[in-house]
Amino acid sequence: MNIAVLVKQVPSTDNVKIDENTGTMIRSELESEMNPLDMYAVEEAVRIKERSSNTKITVISMGPLSAEYAIKEAISMGCDEGVLLTDRKYAGADTLATAYTLTQFLKGKELDLIFAGERATDGETGQVGPMVATLLEIPVLTYVNKIIEITKDDITVQRAIEGGNEIIRTTLPVLITVVKEINEPRLPNLENKLRAKKSKIDIITNEDLKVEEDKIGLKGSPTRVVKVFYPKISRQGEKIAVKTPQEAVAKINDFIKEKGVIS
Amino acid sequence: MNEYNKVTPKIVEEIKKIVKNENLIIYQDEENLKSYSNDESGGEYYAHMPDLVVKPETKEQISEIVKLCNEEHIPITPRGAGSGLAGANIPIYGGIVISLERMNNIIEIDTKNLVAVVEPGVVTNDLCRIVSEKGLYYAGYPMSVETSFIGGNVATNAGGSKVIKYGNTGHHILGLEVVMPDGEIIECGGKRRKDSSGYNLLHLFIGSEGTLGIFTKIYVNLIPQPGKVVDLLVPFKNIEKAIENVAPLMTETKVLPSAIEFIDKESIEYTSKYTGMKLPYQDEVESYLIIQYEGNNIREIEDIYEKSGVTLQKNGAKDVFIADNRTNSEKIWRMRRNWLESLKAIDPYVPTGDVVVPTSKIPEIMAYINEVSKEYKVDIPVAGHAGDGNLHPAPLKPSKVSPEEWKELSEEILGKIAIKAAEMGGAISGEHGIGFIKKELLKQTKEKEYARMKEIKKILDPNNIMNPGKLF
Repeated sequence: MNIAVLVKQVPSTDNVKIDENTGTMIRSELESEMNPLDMYAVEEAVRIKERSSNTKITVISMGPLSAEYAIKEAISMGCDEGVLLTDRKYAGADTLATAYTLTQFLKGKELDLIFAGERATDGETGQVGPMVATLLEIPVLTYVNKIIEITKDDITVQRAIEGGNEIIRTTLPVLITVVKEINEPRLPNLENKLRAKKSKIDIITNEDLKVEEDKIGLKGSPTRVVKVFYPKISRQGEKIAVKTPQEAVAKINDFIKEKGVIS
Repeated sequence: MNEYNKVTPKIVEEIKKIVKNENLIIYQDEENLKSYSNDESGGEYYAHMPDLVVKPETKEQISEIVKLCNEEHIPITPRGAGSGLAGANIPIYGGIVISLERMNNIIEIDTKNLVAVVEPGVVTNDLCRIVSEKGLYYAGYPMSVETSFIGGNVATNAGGSKVIKYGNTGHHILGLEVVMPDGEIIECGGKRRKDSSGYNLLHLFIGSEGTLGIFTKIYVNLIPQPGKVVDLLVPFKNIEKAIENVAPLMTETKVLPSAIEFIDKESIEYTSKYTGMKLPYQDEVESYLIIQYEGNNIREIEDIYEKSGVTLQKNGAKDVFIADNRTNSEKIWRMRRNWLESLKAIDPYVPTGDVVVPTSKIPEIMAYINEVSKEYKVDIPVAGHAGDGNLHPAPLKPSKVSPEEWKELSEEILGKIAIKAAEMGGAISGEHGIGFIKKELLKQTKEKEYARMKEIKKILDPNNIMNPGKLF
């Protein structure tokens, strides 16, 4: 079985800072890591590999050269090899241009399963996975929280839907985006860390891929960031001093009546 | 000696005059006073109600209040965040609690001298965060970092996980401004790293648990922030194997870790239930070490973990797991940081011991804790700082024991362990302090030194108004 996992390198912080003038994220190489949700995708792929023979997992990322670290993280968890699509021309790609570029690499490859995290913690769009599936014209299963069965031709999964789960079966190949509930990603051990360190990542530029220039990078991105700003949190508070709890309750009662919350 | 005067309405009026704001005083308000009656030491049975709580905003106000209390012979209990583990901020004689919660200003981050000047009510975590934004690092790191105040850290000479590399809080304090028990304000140390001018009063106040004065300004040493951190999670068949690795880790790899923590089998079971997280090899091993290294960049970090990992494997580690990014590091530390919380989920009043022994004696004291656990038929999970020999045995109350019986029983259990630690060349408290809960143990294990400490206290606080009943 051939599995691909799509991973992204994201800033390793809760506090993403945006340059309000340019509308772009302030990145620094030191503070990057594999998108935490992609770890679940990697883990699920590795678990499949562990229970079926002849399975190869390729980790694929598109990003700057430094994204090699994210790929190596995935290899240290048990993936076999890594591919990085990197080119200055890819810079500024939105989800569509990213998905299109990834698809150009993926098409024609004999893959049974493509895994991706549900979304990335920086962009939070959750679009690249489904877009890749659409462009590859293969089925997509999103929000998967359990893989029930994989056979030679098809796969049965459970996916989270509002208020419950649904069980769904589809033919292979398929693209699956996973949610956190699917597993607990492993910590890499020394042996795998050293293997990852020595592994050679396949660097692919647009010279190799030859994607049409109007479909990549900023040019190929219909998304326009019009304005980026920090939300201003402002609340108006009013302090009402009362002497007894009864009086307080009456005040609150009057207030919510006045606002039409209760009649 | 301990007959104190009560807080009268006249005194309340005078305090109001000093702080000029009624909202800074809690008086005759049972519910709010109760929040200042206890700390994190153990059960409700340790609580004592203060007569009044005041939250001054300036050193002058504190000085005036202290003068008043000294004249009127009213006991003062200085209080930080209330996260102490020895009862040092419990007002056992009632009187006035001076809460430093409003004195929470970061006065200055001096990047030219690498010193932060802060008020005692600053949450330590906030200080760490703010200096890190300037590429600097405060290396004091108690496990309660998210709640505790820097003032309390200094008052207890708090430790934490990074003591092996950086020493405890006292190592990072360059100066203190202190309101003395007679109200005089003095300053020891300051923005300087050397000072041979007379007795080292600074280090007399560090760890004094509020018995000698109230800190109003703290000069904190800052260092450049390490560029990169790596955490190793290392399972071992048993405690002995784990501890055997502590010295070779440093001698063979020639790198000083910033933390070497350990957690025992029982603790793993409780924290695993609480966090819903399972560690690799959890069912096969009895102990884990968590080892942290700091380096300048990723290459350096890779070299360090490779060297260290190979040494650990050679010396009996079951495997070595490596976290060199934030998500994985969090995963490793979640178990250790949630240790006390996970025990509290079972027994909200779990008391935590704080013994320290020479590192090589850890297996011996662990075996003794195991014996005590069997003798009393009480579960005693243990976690601690393997790098510096500081252990936290935490006896869990058996369901059939009443809280009152438990107070006595748990003190007896922890007392036995503490005395044993002292006999091994250790001490009864490594980082939590003495408070009032361990004062008898201190007296018992350090008789002559204890008498000298008492003499110092008598000279500096002749009326015994500053946190009375603590230490002595």
